[in-house]
Amino acid sequence: MIEPVELKDFFIVFFSGAMIIMSGALYALLFAWSRLQSKPWMMATAYGSYGILFISVLTLGSAAHLNGFWWWLVIAMLVGYLLAPHGIWKLCVGTHTADENAYPPVSAEETDNSETSLKSNSQKEAI
Amino acid sequence: MSLAHLNGGQQLAVKYYIVAVVLFVAQILFGLLSGIQYLEPDFLQGLLNFNITRTVHINAMIVWMLYGFIGSVYWLLEEESETEIVGLKLGNLGFWVLTSAVTVVVLVFLFIQTGPGDDFTRWFINEGREYIEAPRWADIGIVICMLIFFYNVAATFSKGKWSGIAGVLTLDLVALAGIYLAGMFYTTNISVDQYWWWWVIHLWVEATWEVLVGCLMAWGLMKTLGVSRKIVTTWLYIEVALMFGSGILGIGHHYFWIGTPEYWFSIGGLFSALEPVPLVAMVVHAVYDSGVRHSKGNNNPALAWLIAHAFGNFFGAGVWGFMHTLPQINLFTHGTQWSASHGHLAFFGAYATIIIAMFYIAAQYVRGQSSFGPATLGSGWKWKWALGLLNLGVVGMTVALLISGYEQSFIERAVGGSTWMGYFAAQIHPWFIQGMEWRMVFGLVTTAGIVLLVWDLLTIGKSRVVEQSRVTQTVS
Amino acid sequence: MSSNIPWWSSETFWKKTAIWVTGFMFLVLIALTVDTLPQISVGSERVPAYSVINKHISYEFNDERNFQVPVIGGDDPLFGKMLSEEEAEALVTHGKKITQGRNCMGCHTLLGNGSYFAPDLTKAWLDPAWSSEGEREQMMIDFLMHPQDNARSFGSGRTMPDLNISEEEARAVIAFLKWMSSIDTNGFPYSFTVIDKEG
Repeated sequence: MIEPVELKDFFIVFFSGAMIIMSGALYALLFAWSRLQSKPWMMATAYGSYGILFISVLTLGSAAHLNGFWWWLVIAMLVGYLLAPHGIWKLCVGTHTADENAYPPVSAEETDNSETSLKSNSQKEAI
Repeated sequence: MSLAHLNGGQQLAVKYYIVAVVLFVAQILFGLLSGIQYLEPDFLQGLLNFNITRTVHINAMIVWMLYGFIGSVYWLLEEESETEIVGLKLGNLGFWVLTSAVTVVVLVFLFIQTGPGDDFTRWFINEGREYIEAPRWADIGIVICMLIFFYNVAATFSKGKWSGIAGVLTLDLVALAGIYLAGMFYTTNISVDQYWWWWVIHLWVEATWEVLVGCLMAWGLMKTLGVSRKIVTTWLYIEVALMFGSGILGIGHHYFWIGTPEYWFSIGGLFSALEPVPLVAMVVHAVYDSGVRHSKGNNNPALAWLIAHAFGNFFGAGVWGFMHTLPQINLFTHGTQWSASHGHLAFFGAYATIIIAMFYIAAQYVRGQSSFGPATLGSGWKWKWALGLLNLGVVGMTVALLISGYEQSFIERAVGGSTWMGYFAAQIHPWFIQGMEWRMVFGLVTTAGIVLLVWDLLTIGKSRVVEQSRVTQTVS
Repeated sequence: MSSNIPWWSSETFWKKTAIWVTGFMFLVLIALTVDTLPQISVGSERVPAYSVINKHISYEFNDERNFQVPVIGGDDPLFGKMLSEEEAEALVTHGKKITQGRNCMGCHTLLGNGSYFAPDLTKAWLDPAWSSEGEREQMMIDFLMHPQDNARSFGSGRTMPDLNISEEEARAVIAFLKWMSSIDTNGFPYSFTVIDKEG
């Protein structure tokens, strides 16, 4: 059974839905970046993004009446988005061990141009 | 244009690309006509009614993207299999049969338009089902051409060398052709009709097309950035697992309101929430790769379009999709301009962008350039402006349609109770009309973009070839 | 070096995983399809038999399911003529084929799918735009046959083009629309006002 969203909550649902995906991606981005450059302070911003995601999921959950079975969806999103970047990062490290030139990741002095290279490599996103 | 230096598959690919661009232009022209009809309902009424302009608009899109995909696969076929294409003549025949069929279908759509409610109409004029309006004879023709294509791909890999990419690609083509059959029958029961109709639409666009793009990307990364085959293949498998794992049952979000049982609410809601997972994986992996590899591409326009693909796919499919996918809110957005807004950005971001990137990769080889950078392209203002205008145009249309759809979900659905009066109350609301006006403005921006894109593809890298040939002449 | 790759990130592991995940999800979809199709076959609870056009159809709020559901009432034959199951099927089938042949989906949505240039037709039979139940059938025939003279555009200036629909064809289309309005669409469209039930 579903309980349709009330008129006054339409905007909240649309906005929190968009924020879930965007803060989820930002969290993943900052998480990976922090690991890559060994910058612990950046990990704090990553978890800050996850905090936004957390709030967004709960907001969506209450505005869209995600009760009963639907509560599991809220839990799944909270846990899934938290753990997915960890798992994917492990996979990145794991799959790249075969490629001798590619491991270990860059050292600190190389990181100054990492922003440009991130751009040039975002095409990998479909792989 | 001399193509003698290309391999057989690539020569065939160029043909497919040319028709793809022509149909892309047609898509935008008929999109403009449809957009005008929202503002001026009498425009072309009785001559080309909205149902005709819109049908051509969306069918041209589906078909140009298919041409782009087929072309791209033919483009990489000989290199990936390390052998000559098995049935080049047959492939050429398939190309001409398919192109003739598409031409006839479009001419019939434009000049005969509709027919009586009998089987003849569905077989020879118009099937009247969104996206797969092509009459049945054309369906059969499409399947035959897809079988020729499939034979060429599978047989060439069998003769040459199988690889992970080849395996995924071949199986994906089996699914692509097989799923099309699900749309090729008539039933009066509209619930069953739409049940199978979504198999074609959803399982193509949100599953098999995605995996096809994954294969193209895997190959492109190996070729242009020198990523190792083992890594690329492993990640292709990971993406297949994530995309099919979430996308196949993601079909549930189309089964909320067509008569199907209520359990589809749960399945559709759950798997829709999972569908962004592959996107998150891509983000993490892209960052990781940026750290381990600093190589630069040698084709700037292609690279720029691939970046547009990454962002477009993320926002169009991810953000725009999730905003209105849960049944609690989809009840109010289903069948409004929300769908149009999502559709414009998602199709462009996920598919148009990457096919345009493939066009540029092909253009570089066709023009015999070692790279497409400032050295060969100069300022490259044409491709840069084409990129900017097309992206701005589509994003602008998406936002404009979103505002109209947002208003519609309030006025028509929540307040107006979805009656005809509620529908029209929403259509004459200032927010809706202004949304449509801005859509028109950005439609024109998109049109300027496609003009530049076509001009650029026709000329890019050419002048340098002329210079080079002059140099060689002088030397000799 | 390749021996250093942990098993969970090896190519073969993910190849197998991709195949198993795809196969499993596809099998689940097949199983759900096998379960769903009988529930939406004609004559089922969710998709009534074509002879439902002999009955009165309404769309009422159901507390248990929390949205409106179609309610099939007593005899109310379409155009005053009771049809056998076969006759009803033939009429509705003709109507559906006309909607496909005239490419209605190019402007309208049916069950919410199609284009957004004209109103949704899912519950068009029940729409208050047809004045009253008594006038409805004739108004629908007139509208379909001469949409320009009987335009119902509510100030939008948008009219339906004349698609050369004959009276016999109009009757078939209306039969199809009446049958479609009896399909249980899980409450879509929501908070719909039914003809003769206003206020």
